[in-house]
Order: sequence, then structure tokens, then C-alpha cells
Amino acid sequence: MFDAKMMLTLATGLMLSMPAAFAADDPIHERHELMEDVGKAAKPIGSMFRGETEYDAAVVMESLGVFEDVGSQFGDLFPEGTETGGDTEAAPAIWEDREGFEAALEEWRSAVDAAIEASPATLDEARPVVGEVFNACKNCHDGYRIDED
Amino acid sequence: MRNLLRYAVVIAAAIAAAGWWFSRPLTLPAADLPEYSGNPVAGAQVFWAGGCASCHATPVDGKRARGDAKLLLGGGLELETPYGTFRVPNLSPHEDGIGDWSTLDFVNAMQRGVSPDGRHYYPSFPYTSYARMTLEDVIDLKAFLDTLAPVAGRVEDHALGFPWSVRRGIGIWKRRYLDATPVVAVDSAEPVVERGRYLVEGAGHCGECHTPRDRFGGLDTTRWLGGAPDPEGKGSVPDITPAGKNTGDWSAGDLAYYFESGFTPEFDTVGGSMVAVQENLAKLTAEDRQAIAAYLKALPAD
Repeated sequence: MFDAKMMLTLATGLMLSMPAAFAADDPIHERHELMEDVGKAAKPIGSMFRGETEYDAAVVMESLGVFEDVGSQFGDLFPEGTETGGDTEAAPAIWEDREGFEAALEEWRSAVDAAIEASPATLDEARPVVGEVFNACKNCHDGYRIDED
Repeated sequence: MRNLLRYAVVIAAAIAAAGWWFSRPLTLPAADLPEYSGNPVAGAQVFWAGGCASCHATPVDGKRARGDAKLLLGGGLELETPYGTFRVPNLSPHEDGIGDWSTLDFVNAMQRGVSPDGRHYYPSFPYTSYARMTLEDVIDLKAFLDTLAPVAGRVEDHALGFPWSVRRGIGIWKRRYLDATPVVAVDSAEPVVERGRYLVEGAGHCGECHTPRDRFGGLDTTRWLGGAPDPEGKGSVPDITPAGKNTGDWSAGDLAYYFESGFTPEFDTVGGSMVAVQENLAKLTAEDRQAIAAYLKALPAD
């Protein structure tokens, strides 16, 4: 019934989820901090897109690295019991439609992976691939974040 | 005594007649319509500036329409407000929508809030803003709408509480609140700001959510764009004047970039009902987005 492959999958899954579980003593705070990190990392790319700063491939890759790191932890920070409190902007839809939330998050993670893979060297190369990452941010926020002002 | 009663009845009848006359629908005479056949390409821009789809596109699986579904204007969205439930009607070129409408019918709906059969529309349909549009833009918009796919199905009527349920009363409301003159005086030497005013105060109908309403449901123009409770009852809509705490210190470039991309200067994303608005604004020309930003920056900061 339990074959070796399945055990391995389960064990790997458990191991991968452990660091997040330890970090998540206060998941509401933790996930908020992670989103702040994403915002901070996105900002320099934004100024490049707006033509305020010169394109810098190293900075873009560093920011994409932050996105990748956050993407690997973020989904585990919405356990039952953290639906409200601490001024969370997490929408009830996360718990009511977990599959949809996971899909929206996965859309973001894949866009991040694709952008890292593309390793854009110029602004024109960055616009479409990083644009997909930004669109995925918006899509997930649109469905799964409360915004009342 | 009998004379007094007779007198009272006559007075009451006179008041009722005056009220009926005073509340009658006022329409544009056919002779005032320009000799102009609409341009659907220009009308598409008016359509996105006006955000017609945000209300009239039929929701998909209970959620707002996205992508090409925004062009299926069968209506059906329900707006829960303190006055009751407004149900958005079919705007598609089908006989259940506006398929049989003449250009004059469309202009009177958009700018006078009067239906082809001579009834008042409720101002949940923001003709109070659309009244400030040029006739050419309105006619272009109709030409664009006529190119869209017809969608069958009539939407049920609104479910409103008294006294709002008395449709005829809107005629009196309009006497007070339907005014096509611009709200804010701007420096006419700055055509960009004038263009921005035209978009914001007219088709864009930004004031309908960002300006607070008085107890009769009319916009309090002394607090123009100064923020308001969400008309659908949750949270608030921000103050977008230069005094606003959210966007007051944004530059015109920040605002224009936000309209284009949906990202704030801190690289947070647009949220709430503004998401759909931003998606529409992204379809305008860069010049029009800059004009809207220039107008917002030119607003009095008090």
C-alpha cells in the first residue's frame, strides 16, 4: 500500500514544510513581513521600468531571488486559526477556496522561476518576463487580499 | 366647513399636479442631435474611460468578468447599497439590451438619465457624470457598443426601500443634482489639466465613489474627490485630492504609473474595486492617463 516512492514523497514534503512550521510561531506577522520584503525587492525594478534608474541585471536577479525565497515559504503561513487578527489583510477566500489560492500562488512562483530562467540582460528583455511576475502579484491580491481603503 | 374641505382638496390636487410636472423627464430634443455618425474605434476609448464593463459585464461564476468576458454586457451584477439592491441592466446590442435604441435614446439615457420609454433612471447609473461628456463621445460610445456581441436576457428590476422606490421622485432629485457644468475651475491655459478634468468629471465618473454623498444621495461637491464611505458598505474610498493621506504626496508620474501598471510608488498593488478601474485605465493612451494625473494634482488641497 505504501510504496517506497510514496514514502519518499511524504518524507520530503514533511522536511520541506518543517522550516516554515518552525518560523511560523506568528504566521500573521511572518507572512506580512515576507510581503514587505517582496515590496522592497520589487521597488528597484519598478524604478527601472519607469526609467528613473538605469537597468541593472544584478539587482533584478537579486530581487527575483527574494521572490523565489518568499514563494517557497509563503503558502504555509495560512494555517487554520489565522483567518483574522493582527490587522491581517488575508481574505477569507484563502480558507474558503484553498485550491484557488494555491493556484494563484503557483502562478506567481512559476512566473518567478521563468524570469530567473530568462535571466534578462536588458530592460526590454525584463519587461515581459518580470511583467508576468507583477501581474501574478496583482491577480493573487485581487482574489485573496482584503483591501478596504 | 364644506367649502374649506373643497378648498383643501383643490390645493392638494394643485400641489400633486405641480409635483408631477416638476418631476417630469426632461429629454434632449431630436433637433439638438448633431449630424454625426459614431466612430467605433474612438468609442472603444470612451468605453474604457467610462468603465462601462465594470458594472455591465455579466459576472462569471459570481466573480467579476475578466479579459474578453468584459465585452459581454448582459448585466446582472447586483449592487448592495444603503438604498437597496440595484441590478445592473443589459447594455449589449440585443433587443433585451440596447439593440433597438436610437442614437437619441442612448444620448438621453447617458446624459439625461431618461429611458427610451420615458422613465427616470436611478443615479446608480452615473448619468450625473456622463452629462459632462461631449455628444460626439457619447455617439462614438454607442457605435462601439453596437459592435459587441448581443447577449440575451433581461435583468430584474432594482429592489429599493421607500421612498427611493418611487422612481418619479428622481425627477425632483435631478433638478438639484443633474448639472453638466464642470465641478472644479481649472486654468484653461493648461489643456492637459482640462483634458484630465473632462475625463475625471465626465466619462471616468471618479467622483461617484471618491466624493461623499449628502443625505439625499447627491454628491457633496464641496468635498469633491475627498474620499467617502464605500457605496457598497464596506470600508472607505480614499481621498484622492492633494490633501489625501494615501496618494496626496504621489507625483503626477506616480499616479500615471499606477493607472498604467496597478502598482503604487511603494510597489504595493491596486486593491478592492479600484482593480477593475485600473485595468480599464491601462487601456487608455499614456496622454490620457497623464491628463488624469495632472488634473488630480491641480485640485485645491483643502
